[in-house]
Amino acid sequence: MMVKHLLKNTEALESINMKTTKIREKIIETVFFLCALISVISVVAIIAFVFSKGLKPFFGDHAYNFLDFITGVRWDPENNQYGVFYMIAGSVFATAGAIIIGVPIGLLTAVFIAEVAPKSLVKIIKPAIELLAGIPSVIYGAFGMGIIIPVIEKISPQPQGQSLLAVICVLTIMILPTIITLSESSLRAVPKSYREASLGLGASKMQTIFRTVIPAAKSGILSATVLGIGRAIGETMAVMMIAGNAIGGIPTSIWDKVRPLTVNISMEMGYASGTHQEMLFATGVVLFVFIMFVNITVIRITHKTVEKD
Amino acid sequence: MIKDAIGKIALYVASSLSVMTLVIIIGFVFVKGLPGINFDFLTRQWQDKTTFVNVTLQNTEDTDLSDSYIPSIRAYVEHSEESFTIIKLKDGSSLEKAKNLKNETYEVKKKDMITKIDSTNVKDMSMEEFSEQMNSVASQGITRLKVTRPGGGIQPMLISTLYIILLSLAIAAPVGILSALYLTEYAKKGKILGVIQFAIQMLAGIPSIIYGLFGMLVFVQLLKMQYSILAGALTLSILLLPTIISTTSESLKAIPKGYRESSLGLGATKLQTNFRVVLPNALPGILVAIILSIGRIVGESAALIWTAGTIAQVPSALTGNTASAATLTTKLYQLLKEEGDVASACSIAVVIIVLIWILNLLSKWITKRFTVKE
Repeated sequence: MMVKHLLKNTEALESINMKTTKIREKIIETVFFLCALISVISVVAIIAFVFSKGLKPFFGDHAYNFLDFITGVRWDPENNQYGVFYMIAGSVFATAGAIIIGVPIGLLTAVFIAEVAPKSLVKIIKPAIELLAGIPSVIYGAFGMGIIIPVIEKISPQPQGQSLLAVICVLTIMILPTIITLSESSLRAVPKSYREASLGLGASKMQTIFRTVIPAAKSGILSATVLGIGRAIGETMAVMMIAGNAIGGIPTSIWDKVRPLTVNISMEMGYASGTHQEMLFATGVVLFVFIMFVNITVIRITHKTVEKD
Repeated sequence: MIKDAIGKIALYVASSLSVMTLVIIIGFVFVKGLPGINFDFLTRQWQDKTTFVNVTLQNTEDTDLSDSYIPSIRAYVEHSEESFTIIKLKDGSSLEKAKNLKNETYEVKKKDMITKIDSTNVKDMSMEEFSEQMNSVASQGITRLKVTRPGGGIQPMLISTLYIILLSLAIAAPVGILSALYLTEYAKKGKILGVIQFAIQMLAGIPSIIYGLFGMLVFVQLLKMQYSILAGALTLSILLLPTIISTTSESLKAIPKGYRESSLGLGATKLQTNFRVVLPNALPGILVAIILSIGRIVGESAALIWTAGTIAQVPSALTGNTASAATLTTKLYQLLKEEGDVASACSIAVVIIVLIWILNLLSKWITKRFTVKE
């Protein structure tokens, strides 16, 4: 009788213990889940705050015409003129230039590292490129100010060195490490059998590289390019020192001053207030929309490759 | 054949271009910046600091053959442009026990500059006149000196950078690691997981200037933190989340399933398994995530300028008036943009590059050390 009673008690105790453990586990799982939710909350908060502040000047009594904003080619806060079209053009030209020069150079360097270079050389080049990837953008800006601007000043038909060309040069250098490291890893991921098959069919090493290996690594190279675009559009500090920050006009030559979107925000954030400040947030919204496109493209490309595998 | 040759040439030209730009950039920074780097640069305050001190002068007969020796303060001085710089202090100099106006001890050190004795400016004095003046006031006992401690050093930025690293990681590391744990160990495939992963990818793609805008709007203005290290650290911790989550997730995924199964099979709960088996095995990956984050913080500028400000001081609070602080990188930016001082900027850049280089080596070493075992 006693024993039975005791047994029952311990059983009850055990089940209580089990229950508390289960509850504890559940609570902690919820805590983990909440942590994971912080990322989602952050994205939502960033979008909500930046958009609500950035879209404010286009609604209400003294609304600024959105069409004037998006197609305007002059930024003159003192006279209540806020046109960002020439900045969009500046950002797009600079990014396009950097991609056109940077991707081929980066890709070929990646091919050299992955396929051609002897191991001893790779051991030197790779850490160097990784270092280049880690260097803060302001240092690229210092380099642009110290070397690129004086050189352009000498050869440019215009008096100043700050120009679209300077921006393209610095952005090209900045996206190189991204392009090289990502392309290299996707080249290395191409199965050995591809190369062997191509070589076995009598193709030369170069033919194998250009006709077989690079096409096989296409999606990796593509996502490297898109990430490069993202980095180039979003770059602020390096570009700010060398763009010249024109107050209006679509650039017509590479010697013209430009004012990319990011620069516009960063230039005037320190002292802007009222509508002026809201317009800077509106510029941020435009930038955000561009980045969103880039991001979604990246996500799509990576999803496709994952599905393929 | 010709096509092959062209291909090969293209490869070599492109790679040498890439390597050359690297050499030129590093070369430029080091050539411009290295001359400015010395012990003083690393340890001094950024701004000159002027203090009035009360010193008890000694009326001694202590003599020295050197002209530059001032017996009443037992110190050797050197005449510089507008002041007399202390180049050496003898033992027992009363300058070591100098008191500031709040009557706290303020030790006058080597390289400090004396610009005034009582109310007499020393600017136009010769060495003899200075010595005489010093001896003549010695009889009054306590004398007030105006002393300037030279700045030009990056010590406050080094300390502020460290503060911001610690603060950001204190916020971002736990959240990031626990998020990764949830994503790899708990979450079931489905909509919620998809949304979280999408959000993380979005965060990774947002440029730092947008983080800066957000941080300024929310932390600096709405939450009234003013330009402060806490506002900066909060902004950075959001920016770091994707790096920490994805790097940690990778290392969690690399742990063999058998580890978890044997732990669960031995009767451990899921929580015990995660904390005693899964996390310890993922430690190298987590360390790498933290090192990558430190690199990112050291290099960040756009997200910090509008949240933590650019004042070269050691912050004395988390928020408010005295909490604004420039990190190495934001100071470098400010020097370039507002003062056009490329040489000092490059000196800071050298320090940053060396830091980044050490962090790179460290993360490589950790990865190598812990992956060889398997």
